[in-house]
Amino acid sequence: MLIYLAYGMSFVLAMMLQYGVFSRWMILSGSPDLVLLLVIALCLHQKNRRFWILVLIMGGVVGLVSAMPYFVPMIVYMAVYLASLSLKQRLWQTPLLGMFLLTFGATILANLLSIAVLFVQRIPFVFSEALVNVLLPAVFLNMFLAIPVHAIVRELNVWLYPQGAQV
Amino acid sequence: MRNLFTPKNLRNLILIIVIVGVLVLAISGYLTPLFSLSVSPLISAQSWISERYLAFSDFFGSPRDMATLREENALLRNEVAQLQSEIIALQENLAQAEILYTLLDFARNNPEHEYVAATVIGREISPYLQYIIIDKGSNDGIRYGMPVVTQQGLVGRIDAVISDAARIQLITDAGSVVNVRLKTANVEGQVSGSITGEVSLDMVPIDAQVEIGEVILTSGLGGTYPPNIFVGQVLSMQTRQNALFQTGSVQPIVDFSVLSAVLVITNFDAVDITPLIP
Repeated sequence: MLIYLAYGMSFVLAMMLQYGVFSRWMILSGSPDLVLLLVIALCLHQKNRRFWILVLIMGGVVGLVSAMPYFVPMIVYMAVYLASLSLKQRLWQTPLLGMFLLTFGATILANLLSIAVLFVQRIPFVFSEALVNVLLPAVFLNMFLAIPVHAIVRELNVWLYPQGAQV
Repeated sequence: MRNLFTPKNLRNLILIIVIVGVLVLAISGYLTPLFSLSVSPLISAQSWISERYLAFSDFFGSPRDMATLREENALLRNEVAQLQSEIIALQENLAQAEILYTLLDFARNNPEHEYVAATVIGREISPYLQYIIIDKGSNDGIRYGMPVVTQQGLVGRIDAVISDAARIQLITDAGSVVNVRLKTANVEGQVSGSITGEVSLDMVPIDAQVEIGEVILTSGLGGTYPPNIFVGQVLSMQTRQNALFQTGSVQPIVDFSVLSAVLVITNFDAVDITPLIP
């Protein structure tokens, strides 16, 4: 219960920081996604089998607040969760590498899904512009923030799992 | 009869006379050189002793003084830091007050509308969309579709509302289209956003003479926005071969990157013409 409470509170805090602060940190038109980074780090560190429910709820909440269709963050976060299960088995000794790989993959997936939604909604845009001005800066910023987010979540896990913090 | 001039009395009398004489001489200033001569070595000696004492005292006492000074310095630094933070808080309040005064001034100058002032509390999470979130919602009378302005010009319109917050679609959003009128050329067109936040002008008749710097106002067509709200200025115009309309880029009058407070026009009912679009 304490774990879910701590994860929930960190998620709410991340959302507030994202909407209030990090959405204004821009390189060209790309901005970091702190909530996505938190979800990735939590997925890499969690040990609960039912954690996917929390991931789904997080995706739903972000989808409700965001102007993007609600299913976009839900799909991205669930993909992150599934990928983290596979990565944890293969890269269990190097969680930071897993964090980088998932950040890279999830950011590209989230951006491509957003582009696809814009395309379906018939909103005119230039694909190369989206790639250069939004996707690449977002990937760079997310990779840059992946290290501190991973470290914070690791510390949170050390506090929550005092005896099993080898991850 | 007792003898007054005993040797003892004579000695006392002489002593008194000598003392009184010395006092008289001293008061009258005759003894000043003599005093100076006799006191100056004493003063020198006193000075020497005093200097040595002070040096000695400094040598042993200064560490204590340094510690005290350091403590005082730390206290003063702390006080300065507190005062600086107070100054920053006051400056922020002042900036906020200036914004609100400007908004109030705008509302007074445009009495045909009713306004609700709101503070921007967040920006959209997706970098592909240009939306902001404000701290006023349906409890404050805000409804879907209401236009949003600042003292400078058009910001956007309400896209979603909850009880105490609302989401605004900015005119820079890729999905936003605003029907506009070019003030001097007196022609109509459309201003639309993009995923990068740039604003472009479209649907301007090919034969219209549009000058750079032309003022762009809302036309009121479509019923989404009230007419005559300042949108921006024309930066450049392009005419492609065989194109039916001219296009151009627009410099919005509102700086969306530093948007901190907005006014929602609450007495304007936006018309939803979506069902009429084939």
